[in-house]
Amino acid sequence: MAVAVKSKKKLSIRDFSKPSEQLAHVDPEDLYPLPPPYDKVEEQPGFKRLSEEAKRKYEATLDDTMVVNIPKPKDKEEEDKLVRQFVSGLEKLFSPENNWTFLQPLTLSMEHCARCQTCIKDCPIYEASGYNDIYRPTYRSEILRRLYFKYVKGGGGWWKKFNNGDIELNWTLVSRLLELSYRCTLCRRCAQSCPIGVDNGQISHDLRKLFSCEMELAAKDLHEKGTIQQLTVGSSTGMNALVVKDNCEFIDEDMEERTGIKVETVWDKEGADVLLIHNAGEFLAWPDNPGAFALILQEMGISWTLSSEIAGYDGVNYGLFYDDVQLARIAMRHYEIAEKLKVKKILMGECGHLTKAMGVVGDRLTQATPRENAMAFLDGVVFSGKLKLDPSRNDFPVTLHDPCNMVRSMGIVEPQRRVLRHIAPKFREMHPHGVRNYCCGGGSGWAIMSQNNFLDWRIQVSGRKKFEQILNAFADEDPGAETPKYVCAPCSNCKGQIRDLFDYYGAKEKSGLYYGGLIELVVNAMVDIKGRFIDWEIM
Amino acid sequence: MIFEWEDIKIEVDEDGFMQEPDQWNERVALALASTEGVSELTDEHWKLVNYLREYYQKFGIAPMIRKLCKETGFPLKKVYELFPSGPAKGACKVAGLAKPTGCV
Repeated sequence: MAVAVKSKKKLSIRDFSKPSEQLAHVDPEDLYPLPPPYDKVEEQPGFKRLSEEAKRKYEATLDDTMVVNIPKPKDKEEEDKLVRQFVSGLEKLFSPENNWTFLQPLTLSMEHCARCQTCIKDCPIYEASGYNDIYRPTYRSEILRRLYFKYVKGGGGWWKKFNNGDIELNWTLVSRLLELSYRCTLCRRCAQSCPIGVDNGQISHDLRKLFSCEMELAAKDLHEKGTIQQLTVGSSTGMNALVVKDNCEFIDEDMEERTGIKVETVWDKEGADVLLIHNAGEFLAWPDNPGAFALILQEMGISWTLSSEIAGYDGVNYGLFYDDVQLARIAMRHYEIAEKLKVKKILMGECGHLTKAMGVVGDRLTQATPRENAMAFLDGVVFSGKLKLDPSRNDFPVTLHDPCNMVRSMGIVEPQRRVLRHIAPKFREMHPHGVRNYCCGGGSGWAIMSQNNFLDWRIQVSGRKKFEQILNAFADEDPGAETPKYVCAPCSNCKGQIRDLFDYYGAKEKSGLYYGGLIELVVNAMVDIKGRFIDWEIM
Repeated sequence: MIFEWEDIKIEVDEDGFMQEPDQWNERVALALASTEGVSELTDEHWKLVNYLREYYQKFGIAPMIRKLCKETGFPLKKVYELFPSGPAKGACKVAGLAKPTGCV
């Protein structure tokens, strides 16, 4: 199959092991122009460079940014030790005892890639970077593939070596590969376009896993501040049970003031029908979302509860992004809490990775309480006839962002659209959408990462495609701030990224761009609430 | 890394947030404000900063933004006027809080 895409900044695989100050670099001119009024490079915020101090302290030889902050080894001896650890991790990655979760798809992806490069045109990061080879999905995969043939499979003589390509293993390679595993959002758009299903996203994921499980090297926001904090304090946001309860009290009061309906959040109710688990970021950053869930559950007459146990009020499972062991610990906690409360089902809040981890990946661990995703739940609510809805209350333009974990990874595509077509008269799709969607640019946990200058990178490079899509979706509307436009993003992580995109470009002030979840639109359409629930003034 | 301003010398992270919040005082707040493009702290700035500190001392994290707005009486727009990079990145930094984590 002919592929029209050619890398503009060419790198060979062997370059990856050659020490240099910085292997790859993105210039502002490499980035394709955004639609107006964001088309002038000179008016854009610019790209902060890594500080000299950061470069001195950490391994920063991959590209313009840094996620993991890898401490520099003291001497050659320590470097060699780390490389040996990496090889040990590599062997484990390809053994059934150590990687029973993903060994099969990983091995298939190692053995059967035909190197046709069909997938590369589907990567939004590669495209937005101006086709910089370092971000080509197959570049990263080819490095692991060569290491696999050389160190795991071995044997085969000179012909095998020639055929599979050689590679030099050293600390330069290992440290760069660790950073490079965090330049992919695991959106798996490339996997979808591969004629035989080779999954470069899986490869990035398993590389992160090797580094975390074997070398204790992972992005701090996912590990220390993420899963570890969640399992000790209760939530990756740092909220303990006292704080989340206090916040919900505030949310309940706020809901009553704004809707005229008294709302009461229910805690730890044994025997309730539904245990609701949100991404805890909602309570802090987007309180209208949990408020709307409480109101709808109550108005539907559903018996429900939240849990105040450790991780019970936080459905986040960052383990999904970097470490199967952490994934399992958190998933099991969620299931145990549901069992202890004797609920009939878990309702998963509006969050993509939560829905995937709790909804399908966790099924490999145990037979858990049935779970329902929020999109299907809201579809049921809206068409139940139990709520009086007036779609004309949502009289503003609305578009839908598809969270990758829901659409591509789980096939939850239609319920959210059925709801929007019913309650939002000015709903329009982005292009492409559904299983062909583009990642928000903050996938795999990036939305919560902004250390060093990573914010610049994830806005200007990985988030570029999404921002462009959003602007194009509203191209037929008055472009100014006077016409508010709503991006419905039913995922906490995606909302975090979209918030940062809009803040970065001043899109609220310039273009009237706002964002929120799906359930807020349902409540806004309810005839029984006083006034408007969606309030541009406080968004 | 070390951040220096006049006679102030404090340990901050890569984003300029204090590493040791116990060392905060009003002059440190002024020093941190200078990194946020805020040259003077008015009564309104202090109202916000003091609210954040009190909440942080009680609960150990930053408050939800909606609560901050309601309890100080400042609409979100006003918060951005006072601290251009916003409540989490700007105001919390000046108030000496650790960098807010998670989806905040």
